[in-house]
Amino acid sequence: MAKPILANACALAATAEEAAYRIDAEIGSRAALIIGLDADAAAVVDRVAERPWGAARFFHAEDLSPEQLVSEIDTSDVAIMVATADADAAAAEAIARACFERGIMTAGLILGEQLAVAASVAALRPYARNLMVTNDEEDVAEVLRALRA
Amino acid sequence: MLKPEINELLTETGPGTACGDLFRRYWLPALLTEELPENDSPPVRVKILGERLIAFRDSEGRYGLIDEFCAHRGASLWFGNVRECGLRCAYHGWKYDVNGNCVDVPSEPENSNFKSKVKLTSYPLVEVGDILWTYLGDPATQPPLPEFEFCQVAPEQTYTSKRWQESNWLQALEGGIDSSHVSWLHAGGLKSDPLFKGAKGNDYNLNDLRPFFEVAEADGGLFVGARRNAEDGNYYWRITPWVMPAFTMVPPRGDHPVHGHFWVPIDDHNCWVYTFDYHPTRALTETEVSAMRAGHGVHSRNIPGTYRPEENKDVDYLIDREAQKRGDTFSGVRGIAQQDASLQESMGPIVDRSKERLVSSDTGIIKARQKLRKAVEALRDEGITPPGVDPAHHRIRSAAIVLPQEESFIDACQDALTAELGKAHTSV
Repeated sequence: MAKPILANACALAATAEEAAYRIDAEIGSRAALIIGLDADAAAVVDRVAERPWGAARFFHAEDLSPEQLVSEIDTSDVAIMVATADADAAAAEAIARACFERGIMTAGLILGEQLAVAASVAALRPYARNLMVTNDEEDVAEVLRALRA
Repeated sequence: MLKPEINELLTETGPGTACGDLFRRYWLPALLTEELPENDSPPVRVKILGERLIAFRDSEGRYGLIDEFCAHRGASLWFGNVRECGLRCAYHGWKYDVNGNCVDVPSEPENSNFKSKVKLTSYPLVEVGDILWTYLGDPATQPPLPEFEFCQVAPEQTYTSKRWQESNWLQALEGGIDSSHVSWLHAGGLKSDPLFKGAKGNDYNLNDLRPFFEVAEADGGLFVGARRNAEDGNYYWRITPWVMPAFTMVPPRGDHPVHGHFWVPIDDHNCWVYTFDYHPTRALTETEVSAMRAGHGVHSRNIPGTYRPEENKDVDYLIDREAQKRGDTFSGVRGIAQQDASLQESMGPIVDRSKERLVSSDTGIIKARQKLRKAVEALRDEGITPPGVDPAHHRIRSAAIVLPQEESFIDACQDALTAELGKAHTSV
């Protein structure tokens, strides 16, 4: 017996009018952990932290003890490392290792001209699953907004 | 996630919109040269950036792109006759030249000067490669012609097709930047498609389904690198360039031709996807061109005589659940082009980006939106020419390469990512 054809039973249902009512369930904030890996990056992180965020938390790598780091990562969905030309590779490795063990996604935002930050890019590459090299500080906030942090 | 007002800013391209003004600073594909194959060919309707236009090729081979509707009563000139160096309206015989000037009003006295007061909007229409390009902006800011490599190589080295996609241009473009879907949605094609199969790079793709991504700035847009594990601790990199506003290339596979797309807004709910394949150092083989014409690779299998894919919305994309079950295709839709289009069209004509949930592997898309927004605002507020207008920004390539772990793709591939006629492409 032929199945009845309903209004939403084919791809033609994808109209602008209908699309306006999609995904209406509430979408919560992402528990993002943002860590500055060097002094200049820490200053950027401080400036970004002043804006209104949902569940985002902001730290300087040098201020986090190993125990604090693990504790913060345990309650995060994503860890974002921010660096400039002097990224602390050891800190990046410690963060990434703790994230890897817990299945937490890692990302790196490296601020500066490509050549000037090459060492930092190399330091973060093994550990950040997603890496963006940018000369625009606003990208840190842009990524956090896009992630609903 | 984008605020609704930013989503509108980036998706609306009609006359008078900010993003429409951005697009009107670039040369854009208007139609394929094959659509006007000879002098006095029938006219072709062209809708682009929300404007309805008519393209024709007059008796002396000059191309014209003018308002679709006759200044007399508003009838479409698509019904008209192209002959004796003009396009004559089928309703009352008013005739226009390629610059939109009315050159004959048969109902007026022969010595009347009325016709000299009638002019339709017209835009330049210029052949470069297989494409007729137009520029819809202020003539004072018209840039030099495009210099993308696919339309600079010899005719026997390149092939371009086009297809109609029933979604906003931005969600189509974003598919071109998003490398992370390839190992899923297109996995079947890597093993079987005649324009992909056999490349060593395919094994890296299929053996590592969790690539790492790296996004780097380029003068004209971005480079998005996707890296996967290769032998001996090396990385296999696939590097996708985006040139603003709407040009992307796919990284090559083996000695196959390299391909890419131009995503051109028709209106806010539809776009044209121009798809090209070219080989930088040799002619395309007959087998390759036949495969492209048949809709393999990234081309589409169109309904004969049209540019609408056979796998379209009206027929539920001819979804084949058995092929999906067997694993021949991941979504059940045939062909890479329509695998992408079916999902992008299912998102709605303009996806509401305030409701999406991006993840950090979407950084390429996040950065591209940000660059677009900044360019739109800089043009609107300060009149700054956007990236990608300068033909120097067009001279880029995609690349696929195996590199030692410590090497940066952007440093190691400077030469590979720069187009130069006759230079071999970097491919695995």
